Amino acid sequence: MIEITLPDDVWQDVEPGTEALVDKWLVSEGDTVRAGQPIAEVVIVKAHQEIVAPADGRIEKIQVKAEETFGKGRSLALLSE
Amino acid sequence: MSASTAAEEQAWNLRQLAADPVRPLVRVWKHQSPAVVLGSAQRSLRAAIERRTDGAIPLVDRSAGGAAVLAGPWMISASIVLPGGHSLLGGNLVDCYRWLGQLHVEALAECGVRAYALPSHELRRANAAIGARTVDWACFGALSPWEVVAPDCRKLVGFAQRRQRNGVLLVAGTLVADPDWSLLCDVMGHPEDESVLRRRTVSCEELAGRAIDPRRFAATLEQLTDASASVDANVVNGSTVPRQPAAAISY
Repeated sequence: MIEITLPDDVWQDVEPGTEALVDKWLVSEGDTVRAGQPIAEVVIVKAHQEIVAPADGRIEKIQVKAEETFGKGRSLALLSE
Repeated sequence: MSASTAAEEQAWNLRQLAADPVRPLVRVWKHQSPAVVLGSAQRSLRAAIERRTDGAIPLVDRSAGGAAVLAGPWMISASIVLPGGHSLLGGNLVDCYRWLGQLHVEALAECGVRAYALPSHELRRANAAIGARTVDWACFGALSPWEVVAPDCRKLVGFAQRRQRNGVLLVAGTLVADPDWSLLCDVMGHPEDESVLRRRTVSCEELAGRAIDPRRFAATLEQLTDASASVDANVVNGSTVPRQPAAAISY
């Protein structure tokens, strides 16, 4: 199982304690995705950031729902290969 | 001189990213009529605003992040599209703001406006120095990394961006004159914030002691972007002969 997170480089130089917001999910639990496929959009420091699937697989669980906020390192969804 | 609208600006932004950009593009905009532009995460506010205004003012969704902006003749905005893999994207999203901030500081200096880009580590001090609370629903109600401010930290230029696999859209809005803050606050349902936004912001006109030439600012911004991002740019609807068809200054 792969934890999908907002990559660490996106958080670089972002003020400690800053939270990002899940704007919307482009997939649902149970969907099959391909590596590199956009699966969600988040907003952090006024930047609308696309999140892509890190590998081929199936979205098992969405852990941070749309319009919820999250901090660095938080798992947004689980992907099974 | 052809008219452009905030809706046309947002549509142009989306089209460039959807078309898989292969080279940097820049376009500078100045709109004659007001419109409220909502940040990408403010869609949920739309229904209430529409009920309140009953269509009295155009309401436009921005593809980039950030909060609400009142576009209109008091603002010059810029759209810069960088293809995926561009050298300016080698850093992180905050680095992009740094580049954008420095670009605007130089363009403003050419027009006689002294301002500086606010480093990330000065944000808290700067937000406090203004002596007024932040207004989170408005782009100009708070400061973010590398946004451009007056020496007393009042905000002059706001930024946002949209990052996709195939490219990045950077957007900026510069207050060339005093906006109709009353209109924006009424539309957003926060009339109590008008005085706060006035305290937290400043215009080029106030800083320079005179109105700046929007065409000169726009042309300078475009030239500097061209120089630092190898942007193929041109001017249409103006007197400059077009060099490339994909970039423009629109009024």
